Amino acid sequence: MIGILANFNIYAQISPGELSKAHANLEGLSKCTSCHVLGKDVENAKCLKCHTEIAELINLKKGYHASKEVSNQNCWKCHGEHFGRKFQIIRFDEKKFDHSKSGFVLKGKHKTIKCEKCHNPNLINNKKLKKKEKTFLGLETNCASCHEDVHQNTLGKNCENCHNEEKFKPAVKFNHNKAKFKLTGSHKKVKCDKCHKIINKNGKKFQKFTNVKFSSCNSCHKDPHKGKFGKKCSSCHNTVSFKKVNNLKGFNHSKTNFPLIGKHRKVKCETCHKGGLSYRPKYQFCYNCHSDYHNGEFKNQNGIRDCSYCHSEKGFSASTFTIKMHDKTHFKLENAHIAVPCFSCHKKENKWHFKIKGDKCIACHSNVHGSKISGKYFDENKCQSCHSTLSWNSVKFDHHSTGFDLLGAHKKVNCKSCHFKKDGSGKTEQHFSDLNSNCSQCHNDVHYGQFTSGKSETCTKCHTFDNWKPALFDHNKTRFILDGAHVKVACSQCHRLKERNGVQFIQYKIEDVRCISCHS
Amino acid sequence: MTKFQHKLYISLFVAVTLLSLVLIVYYGYSYYTLPLEERFFSPLHNNFKPSGFIGHGLGIIGSFMMLLGVVIYMVRKRVKSFHRYGILKYWLELHIFLCTLGPILVLFHTAFKFGGIVSVSFWSMVAVFLSGIIGRFIYVRIPRTIQGVELDLREVDDINNNYSLTLREKYNVDENILLQIENFANQKYKGSLSVKNILFIVVKDYFRRKSNLRMIKKSLINAGVSRRKVNEIKKISKQKMLLSNRISYLRVFQSLFKYWHIVHLPFALVMLIIMLVHIGVTVTFGYKWIF
Repeated sequence: MIGILANFNIYAQISPGELSKAHANLEGLSKCTSCHVLGKDVENAKCLKCHTEIAELINLKKGYHASKEVSNQNCWKCHGEHFGRKFQIIRFDEKKFDHSKSGFVLKGKHKTIKCEKCHNPNLINNKKLKKKEKTFLGLETNCASCHEDVHQNTLGKNCENCHNEEKFKPAVKFNHNKAKFKLTGSHKKVKCDKCHKIINKNGKKFQKFTNVKFSSCNSCHKDPHKGKFGKKCSSCHNTVSFKKVNNLKGFNHSKTNFPLIGKHRKVKCETCHKGGLSYRPKYQFCYNCHSDYHNGEFKNQNGIRDCSYCHSEKGFSASTFTIKMHDKTHFKLENAHIAVPCFSCHKKENKWHFKIKGDKCIACHSNVHGSKISGKYFDENKCQSCHSTLSWNSVKFDHHSTGFDLLGAHKKVNCKSCHFKKDGSGKTEQHFSDLNSNCSQCHNDVHYGQFTSGKSETCTKCHTFDNWKPALFDHNKTRFILDGAHVKVACSQCHRLKERNGVQFIQYKIEDVRCISCHS
Repeated sequence: MTKFQHKLYISLFVAVTLLSLVLIVYYGYSYYTLPLEERFFSPLHNNFKPSGFIGHGLGIIGSFMMLLGVVIYMVRKRVKSFHRYGILKYWLELHIFLCTLGPILVLFHTAFKFGGIVSVSFWSMVAVFLSGIIGRFIYVRIPRTIQGVELDLREVDDINNNYSLTLREKYNVDENILLQIENFANQKYKGSLSVKNILFIVVKDYFRRKSNLRMIKKSLINAGVSRRKVNEIKKISKQKMLLSNRISYLRVFQSLFKYWHIVHLPFALVMLIIMLVHIGVTVTFGYKWIF
């Protein structure tokens, strides 16, 4: 007992146990009444005398201690004492705590985040509370008290007008239609930062939501027309799509790089602007829009020569291709070719062909002679040997080369007379290589074989090429010399008309030259 | 009170004590085993804390039982006019019951928080309780009448002789066995007796007595005595040996009992005074009667 009494620290012994660490300064007999009211329970007023921050909140009817559930309770109901230094006078079960009682209902993201995200000394303004360890006091309920104002005071303080507590982004409560610039068409789909640019302001990322210029489209959009069509984009465009132009009343194509001329003026817009009116077709070359009628005929090493070389907007035909231009090709148009219409050479089987290979006449002209002319004179279809572009009929041929000089009346005779003859059926047959120098090839033997000696002809013994008169005939060199009265006798007196096999002819060769054969 | 009634009387005390203990432990174990810092947060705290309905209730009932146990026994023992009410032995047993269960209830009232001024009261209570057990140990070793009056040596010898007579005449115990019993009863500690070695001697006698009783039993069985009779003879032989031992150590225990009174009573007084202070303090700090 003495031992017990020896350890008896009188002032502390009334206490039922050591105070917690927070109240350790209140330990001692003389300090009991700091908390206790003699004859009564521990009264809240005593607690609140020291815990002024709680008292203030209760007076302001703010916070958990001012809630219905707590305000009428004794402090000691939740905050026990005399359980030793290690006792947690505030044991706070974060998981079970009904935050709505604190005056701030946790919703959305606030439900899931850790307490210390908000209950953090850095977010407490009150200097006294800031120093308190692990305090849950001192926070305001406005968003800005915990959250950084990323709008840098440009949008006011009522964050809840635009944001909810689920996610900061996107600002789901924000209705752009309540703004001065209402979102229509494709503007509804555009990402915010396309117009509300993210810039650096005061060393921080800042998205500009105020003072965004929107009076004209150019405020955000670049003018692809570089001012050519004025500033009123809506005269052609709407907000649904830049590419879908629905109003062309005020559009002047002449202001574009491709003024509409000629037939282009009558073409429907979508014929060229296939992807929509705002579709900008290539226009440098006609083939950008037009298909190459000539199927690449005018393709050269530099590509396709543009149509405008031969055509104009006035129409595909007639072509603006001139004879002069033709002369610059490998086939200069000369003489009769100048008069020839283009299609004569370039249109075959109802289709135009302009690329004619080579310069041989045969490319255009058919070889009417076939194989009738010997290769000696008509080598490799070289029509120029005889013909020229002046006229088809003006044949220039050195007949001497054939070994048959055209002499006398032959000079005047049309070639056709000898070389084109109708056959029995009336069909004209050519004769060139099949002709020889025999007169009978062309001429009829009116003498009915009287002077033919075997196979050889004897026409030239009597006749020349000048005419039909037998200029070379000398009757005296015949077996019957004319003399006497015979000189004056008409030829027909002796050389009478005879008929053989139904053919009449004058008999010049008289076999029987006796007088009796003529005279009776 | 017949023997049966006395047994019932004692059994009731034991049963009430054990039942109280079991009930308190059953319902309060999870609370009482919590570290001090955790108890406040236990759902049982409101009831089992020292100022709670059960905790405070245990304190009030326990204190009341102790006060009652002390007062009724003291009054019965010391006030002449009460001497006629019942046998002192039974009052002592009631005193022991009330002053055993009372401290147990108070122990749970403290919720095992042994600090502060009230702890003096508590530890005094513990001291009184333990000294009570020791006192009871000494008390039973001083032969007394049923009224608790100490017997003198002559009276004790008469009782001893009566045992021998009973064995001889009632049970017709063989003279040799009777002689063996007498010899065993007269075995005494040969050294000098003192307060210091008395506990050792008592323990030693306990084992010797057991061994002797086994030998007597063996002799009786060998002599063909019935089993029922053997047990009865053995019982009387034990009483005889005990009495003989107590006669031998009487002076030492008488002297110990005087010292014991010096310890037991002051602790009880300290306990009572500080308990009153404790009650005064709690009332001062707002704790009120709970019933």
